[in-house]
Amino acid sequence: MMSFIGRSFAQKTITLVFVSIISFLIIHLAPGKPSQADPLNPKFTPEMVERFRQAFHLDKPLHVQYFYFYRDLFTGRTVSWKDNRSVLAKILERFLNSLPLFIVGTILTWTLSFPAGIRSAIFRGSLYDRTTTFISYLLISIPGFFFAYILIIFVVTRFHVPVIGMETFGVANAPWPNVIMDRIWHLLIPAVLGATVGIAELSRYVRSQMLEVEGQDYVRTARAKGLPPDQVHYKHALRNALLPFVTMFGLILPGLIGGSVIIESIFSWPGMGRMAYEAILARDYPVILTVNFVSAVLVLIGTFISDLMYMLVDPRIRL
Amino acid sequence: MRIKRVLILAPVVLIIVLLQSYFWVPTYDQQTRGNPHRLNTYITASIGDASLLNPVLSSDSASSAIENMVFEGLIDRDEELRFRGRLASSWEIYETAFFYVNDSADLPGIGKANPETVANLINTARKDKTGLPPALAETLDHLTDVRVLPPVAFQVTRTEKGPGPNASAASISIRVNAPARISLTLDRVDQRLFQNLRHLLGRDYFDTFSGERFLDSSPRVPKEKLSVYAGELLPAVEHNPVLVFHLRPGVKFHDGHTLDAHDVRFTYEAIMDDKNLSPRTSDYEPVKAVEVIDPLTVKVVYKRLYSPAVGTWGMGILPEHLLNREALRREAVALGKNPDAFTLRDSNFNRRPVGCGPFRFREWKSDQYIALERFEGYWEGAPQYREYIYRVIPDLLTQEMEFYAGTVDSYAVEPHQVDRLKEDPRFQSFSGTSFGYTYIGYNLRREPFNDVRVRRALSMAIDTEKIIRFVMHDQAERITGPFVKQTEYYDRKIAPIPYDPEGALALLKAAGWKKNSEGWLEKDGRRFQFTLITNSGNEQRKAVLAVAQDGWKKIGIDVRTDLLEWSVFIQERVNKLDFDALVLGWRMGIDPDLYQIWHSSQTAPFRLNFVGFKNPEADDLIINIRQEYDYQKQVEYSHRLHQIIAAEQPYTFLFVSKWSAVLDRRIVIKETDASGHEVFKKIKPTPTGDYTFYFNRWIKLPEAPRFAEDG
Repeated sequence: MMSFIGRSFAQKTITLVFVSIISFLIIHLAPGKPSQADPLNPKFTPEMVERFRQAFHLDKPLHVQYFYFYRDLFTGRTVSWKDNRSVLAKILERFLNSLPLFIVGTILTWTLSFPAGIRSAIFRGSLYDRTTTFISYLLISIPGFFFAYILIIFVVTRFHVPVIGMETFGVANAPWPNVIMDRIWHLLIPAVLGATVGIAELSRYVRSQMLEVEGQDYVRTARAKGLPPDQVHYKHALRNALLPFVTMFGLILPGLIGGSVIIESIFSWPGMGRMAYEAILARDYPVILTVNFVSAVLVLIGTFISDLMYMLVDPRIRL
Repeated sequence: MRIKRVLILAPVVLIIVLLQSYFWVPTYDQQTRGNPHRLNTYITASIGDASLLNPVLSSDSASSAIENMVFEGLIDRDEELRFRGRLASSWEIYETAFFYVNDSADLPGIGKANPETVANLINTARKDKTGLPPALAETLDHLTDVRVLPPVAFQVTRTEKGPGPNASAASISIRVNAPARISLTLDRVDQRLFQNLRHLLGRDYFDTFSGERFLDSSPRVPKEKLSVYAGELLPAVEHNPVLVFHLRPGVKFHDGHTLDAHDVRFTYEAIMDDKNLSPRTSDYEPVKAVEVIDPLTVKVVYKRLYSPAVGTWGMGILPEHLLNREALRREAVALGKNPDAFTLRDSNFNRRPVGCGPFRFREWKSDQYIALERFEGYWEGAPQYREYIYRVIPDLLTQEMEFYAGTVDSYAVEPHQVDRLKEDPRFQSFSGTSFGYTYIGYNLRREPFNDVRVRRALSMAIDTEKIIRFVMHDQAERITGPFVKQTEYYDRKIAPIPYDPEGALALLKAAGWKKNSEGWLEKDGRRFQFTLITNSGNEQRKAVLAVAQDGWKKIGIDVRTDLLEWSVFIQERVNKLDFDALVLGWRMGIDPDLYQIWHSSQTAPFRLNFVGFKNPEADDLIINIRQEYDYQKQVEYSHRLHQIIAAEQPYTFLFVSKWSAVLDRRIVIKETDASGHEVFKKIKPTPTGDYTFYFNRWIKLPEAPRFAEDG
């Protein structure tokens, strides 16, 4: 066990080094320069563009820039080129904003998908199964932004309450229960929106996994023993169908930092995804690279956790 | 079964908790109508957040919008776009000019002359102007002082990089024995001063002066290098325009500190400080010195004639006492950072600015909103609105929803929505032309675009009216030249090129292009074929691409089109001059200075005259406009320049787009009349289309008022 942790740690560190090199190269080899020095603005003379390049070390060879960047990152000195604020502080602020969305979305997705998918599997070919399949594929194929717009217009015109932002604009002077409830309300639509697509997808996986397991001998045996159906499905069958979901669950961790660009933009949610997206448009390298690095770390932690969880759900697996 | 129950109950409980919050949320009605505070708040929305709230450091539109409220410049533009005083109550422009006495030149009728004789000659001419050419007489009228400056000797050191990339830099010390110099003070700026003085001092008096004789360098440098140094160190003639600003007494910053001339000088120094990486340095590079004469007088001396410099003083003035070296040092120590590496860019000031504008900064929540409140001590009287809120709403449809709901007060209408929203009785709408235009630029270095007849024909074959009608939903106007359409620099007499495919064919025929058997135009066996490119992601430009291609195909030109990602487009094609024709747009300032985009010296790669437009008369006019401080003369030169560019057609000037904005109808202008009564007036845009010009007097009323003019 300890040797597994040690080995895995060493492997993941090496992977991380490669990820850092490749992401650094991709950003720098991609066309486009930091936008603070807009080449098409007559006010920016070539001399000034050159001065910006020097100030941001863009005139140095790539390996020197790489060294500078990761030195600054690990000493916490990286600042965004857009507003000179510390990148880590910015990421922390946005991360805390995105976190509630992520938590609510994840809880909804990872609970509701199972009963929905299992029921589909049990009553395969029934009206229920066909309806949920239809709705699932509908939700998967409707573009998220379209669905979001419909929901916003519906809620705003029907109920006349604000839905965008993290809180109702100008509510700050209200008593604290109202402020908290207001925040929860603003969480509802974007989180449910994110979760519906998640549920639609995940319940399909659950259904197909369950279909496979339901045909196994031990499920038939359990049923033959006269166990109540729920116990057969949720204990004997589900446990054995769970293995692929362990991998998937490990991989939702990077979603913590990825956020959702589209939902955050439409709902004016000041989250991670929006920040990263705007940083990419503005070629704000420090922000892009830091987000990239942090999410690489999270992917690796996620795979590590799912490795450990394998052991938990399947005692046959020895690491 | 427990698992099943948990899996179903947990989300259901969660959803119930989420849903019940609905009953706690204020409705839009409560927010907007039930809230008396709302009437004193102006809320506007933007798709992007500000970067640094410091006018010296940022140039993006979101930051500028806030800076314009928090900071105030010395001057700004009035309703007619002329300059008016803000922090400066008045200002003067004059110049001191210098020339070195040329002891090798013969003065007409006098011969070789010493400095005193030259000065006397000018002074005598000032007193008795009989027989002098009228231009010279006029110049002399404005001459207020003539002085002889004695010879001076000084030493300068230059570092010079040797040839080759790795050569080390050598330092060269130059001894300068400058000869006597004559200084002339005028009560205005006159770019023709020396030209006119030639009538008095001889035609070649200034040209034959060579400064190399007075230089002595060690180690020795080649003669060519020496003459470069001579040009820099001892220019035969020199104009030093001077701008003197008289500041308004008693203007306070938001923290109560009184503004004075030192703040103005500090702002200039902050821009020029290399550590600050200010995007505005090019505006202030021609400044020679900013001197504080007394606490309310600043004198700005320029190195050379550069009239756009006047407009740059609209720049917001920073409070020196919060940002000077000691203040930054204190802040660095307080934050635990290295005081020597701490610059203006690192200061927290950029996130909570202090200026002397009509609104003071209150709060900034990144990517959510920036809140300002009115400054009671504003010199012109506090604004009517108590609060100004700048919300960041990145999605346009969400912005629109918030506007209808009343939590945003204005909305910039998309072209396709104009017809629908203009007539809506809930809103008042405004529209005007923007400061910029869209064009098709041709690479004049390449065949066949080097022929003006071809360029003209290409312009004639495009139905611009159609583009305006169908691509722009009629939210655009034709434009014929490079100046901002609502200024007087733009010559309205120039007619746009008509849509005339027949005429285009005739012109092309004259240029040697004939239709071949397949219907394509051909010359010397080569088909008329080229590629029109633009950047991807701009639907309007993409549509223009299609309309132009179609129009040209109709007269037998084989046009390919290509869309490129913005940075590839700029770096690989525009900057490297690798294109036939392209669709692009310029956003213009009000100032008529066109040097970077149209002067022939700017045609190299990575410069902005990428089409390669070269015209000697246009070059002269561009320089004259830059050097002219007299508005009427600038207008004259601009009209001529406009004519030349319109005739040469290096661009097919397509259109200038119109913007439209809608406001809540309840927002009005509040004024107090002579007898002390409050009067409400309808918001009227200025003649140049700016409806926010009187923003400080705006206020929102509980009910939409009815005005006499509504009927």
